[in-house]
Parts: sequence; C-alpha cells; structure tokens
Amino acid sequence: MAEQRGQASVELIAAIPVVLIVALVVLQLLAAGYTLTLADGAAEAGAIAAASGRSPERAARAAMPGWADSRVSVRRTFGRLTVSVRPPSPFGPIGRALEVSSSVSLGGLAK
Amino acid sequence: MSERELLWRLPEPAEQACLVATTSLGDADGSFAAAAALAATAGASDRPAVLVEIADGRKPRPGAVASGVARALEEELNSRLSSGIAAARGGLCQVVLEPGEKTPGLVAELVSVIPADAFCVTHCDPTRFRELVEDPRLGIRGVLLRVDLDSECPLAALTAAELSSRRIRTRILKRPLGWLDSRRALSGVEPGRRSGAGFRRLARALIDQESGQALPLALGIVAVLVTAAIAMVAFGGALTGKARAQRSADLSALSGARSMRDDLPRLLAPPTIDGVPNPMHMSKSVYLMRARIAATRSATANGSAPWRVRIEFPDRYSYAPLKARSVIRASVDLGTRHPISVHATAEAGMPMPTMSLGGAGTGGMPAMASGGGYSGPLAYRGGKPMRPDVAAAFDRMAAAAAASGIVISVTSAFRSDAEQAALFAQHPDPTWVAPPGQSLHRCGTELDLGPSSAYSWLASNASRFGFLKRYSWEAWHFGFATGPAPCSAAGNPVPSAGGGGGARGAGGGDGRSGSSAAVPSFVPAQFRPAILDAAMKWNVPAAVLAAQLRAESGFNPGAVSSSGAQGIAQFMPGTAATYGLGNPFDPVAAIGAQAHLMSDLLKQFGSVELALAAYNAGPAAVERCGCVPSIPETVAYVARIMATLGGAGALLAPVFEVRLID
Repeated sequence: MAEQRGQASVELIAAIPVVLIVALVVLQLLAAGYTLTLADGAAEAGAIAAASGRSPERAARAAMPGWADSRVSVRRTFGRLTVSVRPPSPFGPIGRALEVSSSVSLGGLAK
Repeated sequence: MSERELLWRLPEPAEQACLVATTSLGDADGSFAAAAALAATAGASDRPAVLVEIADGRKPRPGAVASGVARALEEELNSRLSSGIAAARGGLCQVVLEPGEKTPGLVAELVSVIPADAFCVTHCDPTRFRELVEDPRLGIRGVLLRVDLDSECPLAALTAAELSSRRIRTRILKRPLGWLDSRRALSGVEPGRRSGAGFRRLARALIDQESGQALPLALGIVAVLVTAAIAMVAFGGALTGKARAQRSADLSALSGARSMRDDLPRLLAPPTIDGVPNPMHMSKSVYLMRARIAATRSATANGSAPWRVRIEFPDRYSYAPLKARSVIRASVDLGTRHPISVHATAEAGMPMPTMSLGGAGTGGMPAMASGGGYSGPLAYRGGKPMRPDVAAAFDRMAAAAAASGIVISVTSAFRSDAEQAALFAQHPDPTWVAPPGQSLHRCGTELDLGPSSAYSWLASNASRFGFLKRYSWEAWHFGFATGPAPCSAAGNPVPSAGGGGGARGAGGGDGRSGSSAAVPSFVPAQFRPAILDAAMKWNVPAAVLAAQLRAESGFNPGAVSSSGAQGIAQFMPGTAATYGLGNPFDPVAAIGAQAHLMSDLLKQFGSVELALAAYNAGPAAVERCGCVPSIPETVAYVARIMATLGGAGALLAPVFEVRLID
C-alpha cells in the first residue's frame, strides 16, 4: 500500500510533457492571432496614409512594433496593400508556416 | 524502492490479482449476493473472476452452466490448493474457505495462484472483515459495504473513514439486490439492466488503478487548455471581425471624402456661364452619388458586402457637403449558432479652417507680412516667418545639410519693426541689434540660423543655395541674395511660382512650398502668377480672389454676362473705368483691378462677406443695411465663395487632407 502513495503525482509528472506541448500549441496559436490583429492594424494604417498622400508601405511598417521589423513584408500590388507577418515562434519553420497576412484595397485612396 | 525509482515508476499492470472485500454492517442482508454480483460483473467481460466466501460448513456448488474461463480457474484452484475447494458457476469461480486463523494466509495464497488480471471478491462476516483488511499480504484494493444507511449511518461513516485512512476505496450499497438479480448473481450471471450498469460502475470504481487518476487530471488540464484556446480563438475571431468591419468603414468613409475632395472644384464651379451650361459644373446629387459609389466600392474591396454598407452624408443639406459617413453592419460567424453582429461607423471629411480677414494663419500666425519692409505672403520654417522664395531655398539647404548629417534650425527670420523695436530696447547696441527700421530682418529675406555646430558648414555651403553671410561677425546671419533685393518693391510679388528666378538655381526646386499655399489648387496655371501678384500688391487673400474669379466667370477671360459685366473678373464698364481698367478682357489687368477693388471694399466693410456682397451688388446696397443684401444672386454668390474658402481650405492647406473625424 505504501508504494501506491503519491502515485497520482508521479504519473502527473509523466503527463507534464503532454501538458507542456498543449500549452505551447495554445500559446503559438495565440501569438498567431495577435500577429493577425497587428497585421490588420498595419494594413489599415497604410491605407489611411495612402488616403492623405503618404507612402502606405512606410506607414504600414511604422505601425508594427519593433520586434516584428524583420518579420514583416509589405507588398503593394494592383491597388491592394498586403501586410504579411510571421508570428514569433520558438521554431522558425512553424513561424513561417503560420504566417498571417492582411490585405486592404487602396482603390481610390492612393493616387 | 528508492525515492528516485518511485518518481519514475510508470503505471504498469498490477502484479497480483485485484482483491475486493465485501461484508455487511449491522443487520443489512444481501451482502453475499452483492459480492457475487460484483464478481459476476467482472466475469461477464471474460475476466477471470473469483468469489471467495469465508463461511463455516459450506461447500461450493458447481453450476449447471459455466464459462470456459471459470472452468479453467476451477481446475487450477482445485489442483493447486485442495481438491473440491472451487466450483465454476456461470461467469465466476466460487471458492469457500473455512474461517480460522489461517484464513488471511489462505486468501493470500489463492490470490497468488490466480492470474494477475483476475478479479477476486471476498465475502465474510463483519467479525472477520478486519483481519482481512489489516493483513498486509492481501493488499485489499477496495471494499464494498452492504449497509442500511437509515439505521447504521454512524457505523458506516466510521468504517468508511477508517478504510479511507488506509487508502482503501470504499463504496456503500444502500439497498439489497432485487430477488431476480440476486438469483442471477448467485448463479454467476451479471445482474440485468439497471443494476447491471450500476455494478459495472461499482466494479470499475473499486478496481481501477490510481493511474486512472493521473490520466484524467492530465486530460483535464489539456481539456481546460483546449477549451481556453477555443474560447480565445472565438474571442479573437470576434475582435478581428469587428476590427475588419471598422477598417472597412474607415477606408470607405475616406474614399467617399476623397471623392468629394476631388469633385469639389466641379461642384463649386458655376452651373452656367452667361446662360450657357458649364460643362465643368457638377450638380450636388451627382457629386454625392459619386462619393457614395466610391465609398461603397472601397467597402466592397475591403470585404464588406454592399448590402451591409450604408453611406450617409451628415452635411448633405449644406451648400457643399464635405463629410462622408460609412456605417457597416457585419456579421461575424464563429461557427456558433448565433453569428455576432458588429456595427462599425466611420466619418471622414476635410478640416474646416477658420476664416479671418487679411489671410488666415495657422495657430494665430499671419499668412501675410505687415509692419515691416516686406508685405507679401509668409512661409513658415521652424515657426519663423519668411518670404516664400527664401523658405524654398532654405528647404534645399536644410536637405543638403541633413545629407551631411547636420540639422540646421531657424532662430529668427522676418521681424516687423515693432518686434525689432522690442529687441533693440532690450539690447540697445547697434553692432548687435539694428535699430527698428534698419534691420534687414524686416525684409523677410534674412535668417538667423543655428546651431553653432552648423556654422562652419553654413559658411562654406550657404552660397550654393543663394544665401550670403551678411556680416563677418555674425556667424548665424544669412541673407537670401539671389532673389529680388531685400525690401525692394520687386520683393513683394516675388513668390509667384518659382520665386523671382534666382531661387530656382541651386537645387532645381520648384519653389512651390511657400507660394502655392496661397493660391488654391483649382486655379488654372496661367492665372496663378497674376492672382498672387495682385493679392500681394493689394494685400487681399489670394484665395478670396481665386474663389471670386471662379464664381464670376469660371476663369474665362472672354466672359460677358447678360447684364453687361465683362471679362474674367466681370467688371461693369463704369466700375472698370473707376479703377483704371482700360481693357476688362485682359485677365492680368482685370485681376489687378479686382484686387484693388476688393482691397477698398475690405477696408470699407471690414469683413470678407460684406466685401463680397458689395463686389456683387454694389457698395451702396451693402451700406444701406450693413449686411449681405437679400438679393438671391448676391446671397448665392457670397455663400458659394465662402464655401469654397472654408471647404477647400485654400487659405491654409497646401495639401488638402482628407482624414477621419473622431
């Protein structure tokens, strides 16, 4: 009987990796979602800048926080501004796979 | 087993069969049937099940029908323990042991003989129960107590508490089995239907290993995390949906306002020129419709379905609507039953500058110089006023300095005689501060630059941009020597496009920065210099002249009205003669006369509205009432020009900006 004591906590320790992995996945998804809102905001900032005759690309980049500088790509094609951001991730390939992008139409806003 | 080994021991199959003890407390009956039902429940799932009864003078009775597993157990026990001790009945193998001192040992031996996956239920008197439970060799996993809780509640509680302190799982059966279920159990058959399910749960609860607790705990944590993640994804989705609707509304309103800005000149163009429809003119309904189309198109391009977009014009009843409001009702579908409805509103428009006589200034800064040697328009750099061509040259110089890593700032520029007098009073030394009326600063061409770290760069480079270091002892003072001479008559009208010639030299700049601010963008290029010159000569805002010309003739130098007004400024022959205008069809002369007349009227009436009314209806009519006379044509004329001035922001904004209104 004595050996059985603490068995639950011992086995919980064995389950910790699973819990950690799930927690990592959840955090990664959260980071991706947060990055998407950032990209949305940056795209809008770009479009608004275009409306007042400033450079949408520069405004979109300026709207992203500093840590994202190397993770943002801003493209302008056919009257659309697309901001793509790789969310932060402990594993590079995952960040690349989860890249989020937000696109706005500059139609009528940019000359 | 060491601490460390214990830590890393993973759940593994039990080493011995699972042993459950059953007894009854008090007068409760049916405990043997309950034990049999428990064993039979395990036996029904082809798990070896043994029912051990500890009782006097009984023999196990073989049943007529028995499962193969039970038969095999029976053979095994009879051969390894003693013959006739076991008998197979239905799904279980029944064993009867004589009560005595050796009983716990016998049970332990039996448990060691049967397969490790077997399920063994012992049944005994309450008197013998304790020795079974306390025997360390047995390692009883669980206990099923048959108690009538109505009468024996305290006893049951005590027993359960004690068993719990020994970490033995305890379950209490409050009622005996029904007659039929008891019969079934005693012949080794699982109880039927409802009590069957109950016993299956009971068996599971009693025999499950503790590992079953860690797993649910881990699964629980995972489930909580996953649920939280799903909730956050839903929340985030709603937020994103709301943000996207808002974005779509913002951009749609901006698009509408931009369309209005671009169409405004056509809206304000006179509908007819001399009774002939003006092709430039756009009616208000077309103007609003175009804005509506632009706004809707932008919303659609940004992901809002057209029927979810409502475009409004808050100021649509005004003479020149300048605001667009976009309302988007989006529905965010998160896969739940009810999509969330979100509502986003944005309004965009053009800033409304305030009008004041003699030119408007940003933040109280005059747009026209006065009280010095220069009386033309002022451009501001670093908050300091200067002649526009000087400002343009300064811009080029500042850009070149910045390229060399030097930031130059303006400490002082144009100073009126009054300001100079104040300076001189503080510091009456003519070497350092010139007396009022003698400083070149009154000409708008002189700049005091800083900081001192830039002096050496300025000394060697300023000449490239047309600046001259005026005095060898003032390292900061630079005068603009390339354009018209300081305080010359030519200096005042200088800043027509390009600045009097010299400013264009060094950097090839267009010199627009200062001068074009004064002339609205709708003015055709060929009339800009004339308007600027006239505005500066007569100190009348160029925007007022420009708006008037558009209202009068739409910039048509050959216009003749039905009432006999002639030329671009629509002079009546009598008025033209008064102002020395020989040929009213010469646009430059006509604009000059117009500015002269306006200058007089502004002085006489002191307000732009009244001066305009007097220009249109004659000074006498305005003088009579001291107001804009209620002549429809005059009222419309004044309103149109004031709308152009206010709406187009021509007095102020070199770049006419569309922005969101909070």
